[in-house]
Amino acid sequence: MIRKIRPFLKWELFLICFFIAEIVIFSMITPGFLDFNNLIFSLNDFVYIGLAAIPMTFVIITGGIDVSVGSVMGLSSITVGVLWMNGLNVWIAMLIALIICIIAGLFNGLLVAYTEVQPMVITLGTMFLFSGIALVISGGSSATGYEGISGFPASFVQLANGELLGLPNSFWLLVTAVTFFSLLLHLTKYGRQVYLVGMNIKSARYSGISTKWILISTYMLAGFGGGISGIILTSYFSSARSDLGSTAILPVITAVVLGGTSILGGRGTIIGTAVASVIVGIMNYGLQMSGLTSEQTTLIVGIMLVLAVFMRQSNWQFIKKTRKLASLGKAKTDA
Amino acid sequence: MLKKLLIKSIQVREISIVILLIAFFLLVGSINQEFIKIDSITLLVSGSIILLVMAIGQSFVLLTANIDVSVGSIMGISAAVCGSLLVSGLNVWVVVITVMAVGAFIGLINGLGVSYLRIPSIIMTLGMLGIVRGAMLLYTEGMWIEAIPNDYKRLSNTEILFLPLPIWIGFVVMIIAYLFLTKTKKGRYFYAVGDNEEGARLVGIPVRLIKVLAFIISGMSASIAGLVFVMNIGFVPNTTGSGIELEVIAAAVLGGVSLSGGLGTVVGAGLGAVFFTVINQSLVYMKIPAYWNSAISGFLLLMIVIGDTKFQSYLKRKSRHHVKEKSNDGGEEVRASDSKNKAIP
Repeated sequence: MIRKIRPFLKWELFLICFFIAEIVIFSMITPGFLDFNNLIFSLNDFVYIGLAAIPMTFVIITGGIDVSVGSVMGLSSITVGVLWMNGLNVWIAMLIALIICIIAGLFNGLLVAYTEVQPMVITLGTMFLFSGIALVISGGSSATGYEGISGFPASFVQLANGELLGLPNSFWLLVTAVTFFSLLLHLTKYGRQVYLVGMNIKSARYSGISTKWILISTYMLAGFGGGISGIILTSYFSSARSDLGSTAILPVITAVVLGGTSILGGRGTIIGTAVASVIVGIMNYGLQMSGLTSEQTTLIVGIMLVLAVFMRQSNWQFIKKTRKLASLGKAKTDA
Repeated sequence: MLKKLLIKSIQVREISIVILLIAFFLLVGSINQEFIKIDSITLLVSGSIILLVMAIGQSFVLLTANIDVSVGSIMGISAAVCGSLLVSGLNVWVVVITVMAVGAFIGLINGLGVSYLRIPSIIMTLGMLGIVRGAMLLYTEGMWIEAIPNDYKRLSNTEILFLPLPIWIGFVVMIIAYLFLTKTKKGRYFYAVGDNEEGARLVGIPVRLIKVLAFIISGMSASIAGLVFVMNIGFVPNTTGSGIELEVIAAAVLGGVSLSGGLGTVVGAGLGAVFFTVINQSLVYMKIPAYWNSAISGFLLLMIVIGDTKFQSYLKRKSRHHVKEKSNDGGEEVRASDSKNKAIP
C-alpha cells in the first residue's frame, strides 16, 4: 500500500519544493516580489485556472478530456451579462448561468457516454458549439465584442475583488473548492468509482458500477467548474464577454497534468491540481512582473508542461520496469 | 443492389462528404444564386487552402494514433519568419526553404518527445503550442509585420491554367501526400503504426521513426500554411494561427480520419477542410449573421462524427450477425478469444 502511495507523495512534495523555489527565484529577480499581500492578492489574477482545473481533474482521471471548458467560461460570462442587462437580479442570473453550464457539461457527458466517439472529438465539437452559442447570445443582444457588458453592481464585482478576514475572496473560493472536491474524490464511494473507471472501465462495469453515470457526472462537474470560473472572471473584469475563456485551455490542462494527473486516466489528486494551478499562476505573475507580456509567458508554461510530464512519465516507466523485473525474478525463483 | 450502393457510399467518407458538399451547395445556391457561380467557388476553395494543407499534414499524425495541436502556433511563427525575412529583402526561395526548415525542426522536436521520451502527444504538442507561441511573440516583439513586398503578395493572384496559385499549392500537396501514403511502402507504415503499434514493431517497422516523420510532415504543412497566409493576407498579425489547430483537427475528423489511428485518407481530410470552410462562408450568402459560424460548424461536426460512428457500429453488428449465422458457435468462440486478447494489456 505504501509503495502505491509513494510516487504520489513524492510528486506533491516535488510540487511544493518547486513552488518554494519559484518564489525564491522570482524574489531574487524582481525586488518587491516577495510581499505577502502582493502574492496573496495576485491570486485574484489566476484563481479562475484553479477553479476550472480542479473539477477537470475528475474528467482526466476517467481517461477523458474536456477542451470545451474555455467556451463554457465564455458561455457562463455572457449569460450572466445578458440576463442582468435584461433586468434580472445579478445573483439569480448567476445561478441560471451555472445551471446552463452544468447542462452543457451534461450534454458533453451524454455524448461521451453514449457514443463511441473519443472525448477529445466530442468536446472539440462542443467547444465550437458552446462558443458559438455564447457569440450568438452576445450578438443577438448586440453586446459588442471587446467592450462586452459592463456596469455590474458593486456587490457582484466584490465577489472576485473583495476580501474576507484580510484574505482575498479568491483565496477562500480556492480553499472551498479544494476542500469540497478533495472530499468528493478521496473520501467518497463516488470518488473511488471515478478512479476505477479511469483505470479499467471494463472491470468497473463488471463490478456493477454505473460507468455511464460516472462519466456523465464528471463532465457535469467540469461544466460546473467552467461556469464558476467564467463568473469569477466576469466579476474580476467587471465585464461580461463571450470570449473570456478562449485562451484558458492551455493553463487549465497544464495545471491538471502538472498536478500529477495522468492524461491516460486512473491517477491524480485534487491537492496536486490546486498546487499546480497556483504554481502556473505565480509563474505567470512573476514573469509579468519581470517584464514579459502575458502571451510571452506561454513559452515558459509550455516548457513546464512538457518537462513535468516527461519527469512524471520517466519515473513511472522506471517503477514499472523494476516491478516487472521483480515479478520476473519472483517467477523464476518460484519455478 | 441500390441499398448496397447506398451503404457503400456512406461507408466511404470521401463519397459521403462530396455528396454532402453538393447537397449543401444546392441548398445554399437555391437561396442565393451568387453562391454557385464559378468565381465564388474558386474564392471559397482558395480560402480553404490553409486549412486543407494543415489538415493533410495533421492526417499523418492522426494516422499514427497521435495528435498535433501545436500546428496553429507553428503556422504563426512560420508566417512571422516568412514576413520578416521577406521584409529584409531575401530571395523568395531562400525564405521558403528557411520557413519549411523551421516547421520541420519544431515537428522533429515534437516527434522526438513523443516517440523517444514517450510523452503523450496531446501534452507534448500542447506544451509546444505555448512554447512556439511565446517564441513567436519574443521574435516579433509583439509587433505586426507589415510592408511585405508586393511581388510576394501578388503571387496569391497569379493564375496558372485559370486557377490561382494557392489552389495549385493545395492540389500538389494533396497529390504528393496521397501518392506517398498509398503507393509507397513507407506510406503504408503510417497506417500500420496507427492500427497496431505493437504488431508493427514486431513486423520490423521502424515505429519511432515513422512517428517522428509524421510530426515533421505536420510541422512542414503548417509552415506551408504560414507561407500561403502571408501571400493571401499581406501582413502578419501577432495572433496568426491561434485557435486554428482545433479547426484543423475538426476538418480532418470531418473528413473521416480517426483519432484512434490507422483510418482515413488525405483526400478525405482535404475535403473535410473544404467542407468546413464552405459551412463558414456560406452563412454570408444566406444572410445569416457571421456570429452563427462556430455554433453551426460545431453542431455539424458533432452530427456527422456521431452519425458516422453510430452507422459504423450498426454495420459492424450486422456483419457480425452475418458471421454468426454462417458458422454457428465458431464465430462466437473467435470473438470470445478476441475480447480476451484485448483485455490483457
